[in-house]
This record gives sequence, structure tokens and C-alpha cells, in this order.
Amino acid sequence: MLGVGVGIDRRLVYNVDWVLLGTTLALSLVGVAMVYSATHAGQKPDLYLKQLALVGVGVLGLALAAALDYRRLADRAVLLYGLSLLALVYVLRFGPVIAGTRRWVVMGGFQLQPSELVKLATAVFAAKLFSEFRQESLGLREVALPGAAVGLLALLIAREPDLGTAACLVPLFLAVAFLAGLRMRAVVGLAAALVLAAGLAWPLLKDYQKTRIYTFLDPSLDPRGAGYQKIQSQIAVGSGGLLGRGFLQGSQSQLGYLPARHTDFIFSVLAEETGFVGVFAALALYLLVLWRMLETARLARDRLGAFLVAGVSAAFAFQVVYNVAMVAGLVPVKGLPLPLMSYGGSSIVASLMGIGLVLSVRMRRFAN
Amino acid sequence: MRIYEDLRLMQSRLAVLQAVVVLLVAALVVQFCNLQVLRARHFRDQAENNRSRLVTLAAPRGALVDRKGQLLVGNRPSFNVVLVPEHALNLDRVVSRLAAVLGIGEAAIRERLARRQPYRPVLVKTDATLADIAVLEARRLELPEVSVEVVPLRSYPLASAAAHALGQVGEITERQLQLAEFKGLLPGALVGQAGIESRYNRELMGKDGYRRVIVNSRGLEVSEAARQPPSDGPHLTLSIDASLQAAMEAAFEGRSGSAVALDPETGEILAMTSTPAYDPNRFTTGIEPAEWAILANDPGTPLMNRVIQGTYAPGSTFKVIAATAALEERLITPQTSFYCPGQLSVYNTVFRCNTPGGHGVVDLRRAIGVSCNVYFYQVGIRLEITRLSKWARLMGLGAPTGVDLPFEAAGLMPSPEWKLRVLKTPWYAGETVSVAIGQGQVSATPIQMARVAAFIANGGRLLRPHFARQAGTPLPAPAVRPETIAAIRDGMRSVVAAGTGWRARLASVEVCGKTGSAQVVARALLEKTPTARELLPHGWFIAFAPADRPSIALAVLVEHGGSGGEAAAPVARRILGHFFGLERAEPKAAVLQSDADDTEG
Repeated sequence: MLGVGVGIDRRLVYNVDWVLLGTTLALSLVGVAMVYSATHAGQKPDLYLKQLALVGVGVLGLALAAALDYRRLADRAVLLYGLSLLALVYVLRFGPVIAGTRRWVVMGGFQLQPSELVKLATAVFAAKLFSEFRQESLGLREVALPGAAVGLLALLIAREPDLGTAACLVPLFLAVAFLAGLRMRAVVGLAAALVLAAGLAWPLLKDYQKTRIYTFLDPSLDPRGAGYQKIQSQIAVGSGGLLGRGFLQGSQSQLGYLPARHTDFIFSVLAEETGFVGVFAALALYLLVLWRMLETARLARDRLGAFLVAGVSAAFAFQVVYNVAMVAGLVPVKGLPLPLMSYGGSSIVASLMGIGLVLSVRMRRFAN
Repeated sequence: MRIYEDLRLMQSRLAVLQAVVVLLVAALVVQFCNLQVLRARHFRDQAENNRSRLVTLAAPRGALVDRKGQLLVGNRPSFNVVLVPEHALNLDRVVSRLAAVLGIGEAAIRERLARRQPYRPVLVKTDATLADIAVLEARRLELPEVSVEVVPLRSYPLASAAAHALGQVGEITERQLQLAEFKGLLPGALVGQAGIESRYNRELMGKDGYRRVIVNSRGLEVSEAARQPPSDGPHLTLSIDASLQAAMEAAFEGRSGSAVALDPETGEILAMTSTPAYDPNRFTTGIEPAEWAILANDPGTPLMNRVIQGTYAPGSTFKVIAATAALEERLITPQTSFYCPGQLSVYNTVFRCNTPGGHGVVDLRRAIGVSCNVYFYQVGIRLEITRLSKWARLMGLGAPTGVDLPFEAAGLMPSPEWKLRVLKTPWYAGETVSVAIGQGQVSATPIQMARVAAFIANGGRLLRPHFARQAGTPLPAPAVRPETIAAIRDGMRSVVAAGTGWRARLASVEVCGKTGSAQVVARALLEKTPTARELLPHGWFIAFAPADRPSIALAVLVEHGGSGGEAAAPVARRILGHFFGLERAEPKAAVLQSDADDTEG
């Protein structure tokens, strides 16, 4: 569709980052197991099979993304941006209202969440824009236009509303700009501007969003409402102890005290049932994934590749850190899935495709 | 030739990004270590509280049966509606729903919620009807926080019969929860609040069991983790004879008063009644405040057990004590006679006898039989208060009898020391004259006077009246000489055979008795307004039978019934008639008796 050549060169296969791929798949399969634990006794006991199938689809997407030459993809960055805008406007205009939000496109029985793919498109777009700059250091003036372009996408996603996914675009953009040589003064200035923007956005927040922030600061304000999720998640995590309560044995997970346990709070299930040992192992795997991604950025043959990897990694890192911090009760509850583990087709496929893009960059480090 | 871009700046900035990621993940590890290692126990407890719920399995209280094994107090199954509010998503909605469904006030539910303990079910409604249960079952998914428990509830099949003796149960009070006696009990527990139910509460309660169940987040039970079955409270056999009890209550015919019958050989209480009474079944599920107010403020004091809490001047029944004292102190013999001119002037006071014309020359037997006041004035003068008081105490006055019921009154047997201590005035000899015929400061409860009757009946042994049948309690040694007992019995025999107590006469069983009147107001006032019922004296009758080998002793008091012979003796006769199986017998000889003998001091 995009008219990008897909070529599988035998040389490329030698340069696949098997550690990154293996770790990614391991985390995905742990996710399937946790989805099984979270749902096997419920009304949809076969959800883990669907998740497994989605991992399969995601691996196909990963292969496709890896096979694509990212430079060809970047050549179509403006087109990708345009399609992203179109998709987001379409969702806002025609998307069905599910749980009070318009986030999905329904196609032939499948629900697709465009914002997940928009994240990847944004990474390509930002990488392309910044790779065009040739000067050593960038000021605020240079990043203003790309910032506005990415900000527009974030705004549209935030309107759905999906604050979590919208927020992912901020570290994505910042990481790329940072690598591109944004001056430290500008970094500080941008951070200040963001804080200011957050202050200005406060009156625009929905009541439930404000409530979540209030009750995050003091969960006892509403132990049965917004504070409930945080309290129950902390109980699940803490009661897991060092070694965990055992697979399928977590009372918080199995008896339904944990809300959204197969989606946003999947890590609580892992924490409760496998304990600190399991948490440590899972976080080590995520750190390994991130480390290998950033190493790929180091090894990239051009700035475009490094920026693309940095953008994908930043969004991925933000999502992992925020979600896990939320499970541990460190940050307000926000609907943000854990990449690779949380149940959800768009999230898992987009996460795996993102890894595919990173692989693509590494595979082509020596290629012309 | 490939052109490599200059990526040096980027390399150092990538190192910064890598460091940021490592630091963030390290911070997460620290937080998880904090939650899962340092505070694991705390959260484990919370998870345990979340998932497990303790359901009490109430132990049925021990049944109370009468001496023949008839059930006096038992249990019936009932339904309690309970609420576990911990996981209610919208407690306000649940409360208003429940209130509407069960037809009870929201405020009552909220008040109970406010007093709850965490993770303990809150009792919302006791003794729910089958209709309530049906409605709740239909809304089971809508109200998962609500469940129904089957609990044994106290039932009193004889309703108000022996209500005061048996007492009743009620929800444990805030104050009781603080007492050592009720240690380990929780709000909502049913405990004895009066009578035998209260006195033997510990014995009857048994031990509650429990079920520890695992519930899901909606409050629905998933499985059972542990179970401790309840152990039933043991049955308690009482000395009460249900049939005699019924006859005793019927004998009052709705008048207020009280009666108690004892086995004179053992002190076992065969029957005890106090009227008006109440239905203890009203209390078992927690009485409505309005209904309680009506009972508590009723001028007829239905909640009071007159047998042990009503203190009355013993009137002429006290003459039995005065005579015993005088005989034991050897101040008189059965043959000692005094002349009764109808009054006695002594200590500058005129003390009147009950018969204006006087009884002439009377010996002890006749003095008791016709209840001659003048004879006992003379006895009192010779005894003096110290000895009279000593003997009255020896026969059980002025102190609780020790009956196995709570809140027993002591009555009062005055003495010079008492008067000086309490009233700060010295004793006047004239007061002794009044006390000798059971007037003045002296007061006694019906159970104390029944004990006096039993004392004479069993040869001078002071027994502790009781309901619980305990074996092998040693009988005390007689406190008086057999000759004394014989003389008093002789006098009490003549009370029924030819004296003031003729209305208690039975055709085939010889009854010994003594009448008495407890004056409520001065006699002069009574003569002015003879129709005012509340001014009439309380009528006493104490008795035992058969005369030669007594198997029952009793005391009857009819409030404002008039003289004991008129009011109380017929009641006693009916009780005794039932006891000896002579209910149909009429006192044929009695109808010839003149009314002149009805008067007494």
C-alpha cells in the first residue's frame, strides 16, 4: 500500500538481534500466562487463546516491520502523518462510544485502536524531521514546528479521551529532539513549558480525571471509588511477598478484587502470584529490552535509524515505567496498558511492530 | 565509499537516556522491594481480610425444662439478614434498597453500620419473615453484600407463664460488652437479660461455632476455608412444675400480686408468679423502643418480679416470727395467755386490736388463729427489738434469700443500730410494738415470707430457695426446738381450721397458714374512702400443707386485695387444691364461717 519495497536479504538475517527478539517473545508469553491467570475463572475463560493469537499476529507485524527498510518508510513520513491525522479525526468523528470514550475503529468484528499505530507513525515522522536538520545543536525555534505537528496528534488522542497514550508522544518527541542535539537550555525550557501546559490543561480535565489525581494523593478519600484500584493493586502486590502466592493462587487476582486485572493491572497479577522474585525477573527482562533498543540506536548506521529507535524506545519505556509505577501505587491510575503483557490487540500488535522497527534498523547497520 | 555521519554527540546523549531508563527501573525495584518484602505481612493481612469472612454459627441456648421434663423455654429457627459492607460499591444505595425491601428505617441500619467492626457482618434485621427472604433471594445478584443467616431464636411456648422467673434474652448492651462476664461476645449477641436466662446465662449459652468462608469481590461465597461447629448449650432442668405454675397464675384471675411455692424440704421453687406479667417472646428479637416504653412506664409495673423485688409490710404473717422468737427466748410457752380488751395502751399510745370488742383471754394457739394483735403487742414488749430483730434475721428477713435470680431485694428488718445509722434517731420502745405485728419499718418480699412458711414446715431449717436442681446440698441443722415448731404449727393449723384463713381450707388435706394485711394508708383514711381500690391493704397469706408432713410451702400476696383472709387465702387454696389434685373440692364447712374472723392486724 505504501509502495515500500520489502526485501529479505540473507545478510539481513545474520544481523537480527536475537536477544531482543527472544526477550520480547518471552515477555509476550509471560503476558499470555498472566492473562490466563486473570481470566480463566471468569466469564471469558478463553481470552488467553485470543491473546496468544494476537501475539502471533503481532509477530507477523514484527516480521513485516523488520523486513521493511526503515529509510524507505521514512521517505513516506509525511504520508504516514497525514494518514494518522485522518484516522484520529475519523475516530473522533465516527468511532463508537465505548466506556465513555471514542478510541476505536470497528472493522469486520475487530476493534482497532488507531492511536497505538499512530505512536509508531509519530516515531517515523519525528525521526525523519529531525534527521533532516544538519546543524550540531538545535534551539527552541527549530523544534517548534515538529513539536506543533506531534502536539496536534497528541491533542487529538487526548480528546478521545486517552490521556495515557497521548502522554506517550511527549517522551517520544523529547527523546528524538534530545538526541538530535536540542540545547540543554531548550530542554529545560521545554520541560518548564510542559509544566505550564499541564497547569493550563487542569481546567480542561474531566471530573473523573481530576478525581483520580485527588484520590491518588489521598486514597482514603474514596476507598471504594477511584482510590479502590490503587489500594487493591497495592494489596495484591504487597501480599505477593518475596516468592508470590503461586500461579493461579493470588486471592486478589482470582477473587476479583483487582480491577482491570487482565489489561492495565496485569502486572499486579504477576506481582501477586510470582512475588518480588517474579517482579525482579520481569523488570530485568524489560530493562534488557530497553537496553538492547538503545544499543541499537548506538549502532544505527544513520541519524534517521538512531532517532527512530530512540522514539520507539522512549514511548515503550514511558509506558512500561508508568504502568508499573501505577501498579505499585507511585503514580495516579491512568488507562495505559503494559506493552507486551496487557491484554489488547492494538497494544500488543503495535508493541511488537515497534520492536520490528528497531530490529529493522539494526539489521541494516552495515547495509547500503 | 560510505559516508558515516558524525554521531559522537548522539552517543553521549544516548548514554544519558540509558542511565535514565536504568534509574527509573531501579526506582521501581526499590518500591516493589518495599511493598513485597518490607511490608509484605501488612498487605498479606489486608488480602486475607479482603477474601475471608467469618460467619458465626450461633449455638442454640440450652433449653429450660420443668421438673417433669416439660419444655418451658426452647429455640426456634429464625432468619437474620446481615450485611457485609466492605466491598459494597455504593453503600448508600444498598442501605436504601434494603430499607425499602425489608420495610425498616434507613437510620436504624446506618446506626448499626456506624458501630460495626471491620469485616464483620452487620445485623440488619432479626427474625425476618419468609416473605423478606423471598424478596432478598430474588435480588441476590443485585445485593450481593447482603446474606441471610439461620440462627436459633429463643422461644417461650408458655408465653407469659413464669415470665419473671424464666426472664428473657435480648441483644447484648454496650455496657454489658465491657463486662468481664460477657468477654468474647460481639455486638448483636443474644444474652440473658432477666431471670434464670440472666442468672444462668453462661451455662445456657453454649459455644458459638464459625465458618470461615472465602468470598469474591462481590461478596459472594466461593468456598469454605474452615468450620467449627457450634456446641449447643446444655439443657437446664428447673424445679418448676409447669402445671402448678399455670394453676397459680389462673388463681390470680387477673389481679396484681405474686405468689411462690417451695418444696419445704429442699427449697426448690415449684412455681413463682408475679402479675401483671409480660410476654418474653416480645424481647427475643430486640424489643421496639415504643413497646418497651409502654412496658417500662406501665403503672402496673409488669416488668417487676414482685416475688423477689416487691417489698411489703409483712403484716400479721410476721406474728409467726414473733411467736417463734418469744418461744425460743422462753418468754412465753404455748400456754401463756393474755387478756385482749380490744386495745392496749402502752408507751402513751393506744394500740388497737383487729376486733373492736377484743378476743378476751387468748393463748398462743388462739392468738395466731384469730390473729390477736394485743397478744403480740405483749410478746413484742417482752422480746424487745434486739431479740425480735435477731430472730427475724435468723428466719431470713432483712437479707436476700439467695434465690438464683438477679436483682433480688433485701427487704428490711429494723434494729436500733439500723435506725441510728440511717435515720439518725434512737429506737422508741413503742415502735417494737408495731413491728411485732408486722407493721412499721419492717418489710419483706413474698419469697422471704414463703421461706418463713417453709421454715416452720420443715422443722426450723432456713433453706435457700432455688430453681436449678442441684444434688447433695446439705440441709442446715434446725435453728429452733421441735416444741416451738409444734406450737407454731398448732396455731397455723387453727388459722385455717377455725380462724382468719378459713378460705384456704381444703376438704381432705389439712392446711396450716397465716393471714396478713399490709396497710397502704392509715386505717382512718381507709374508713373514709372504702371504695378506693388502691387504698386497700395488700392481702398476705403464707401456708404449708399437709400439716403433719408438709410437701409444699407458699406465700401469696394480692395487691390492694383487702385482708389476707379475704383476698389471698382463696388464691392459696386454689394453688394448694391443684397441688393435691383437689381442684373441684369446695370448702363446705367454710361457708358457715362468720365474717368476724376475717379481720386481722
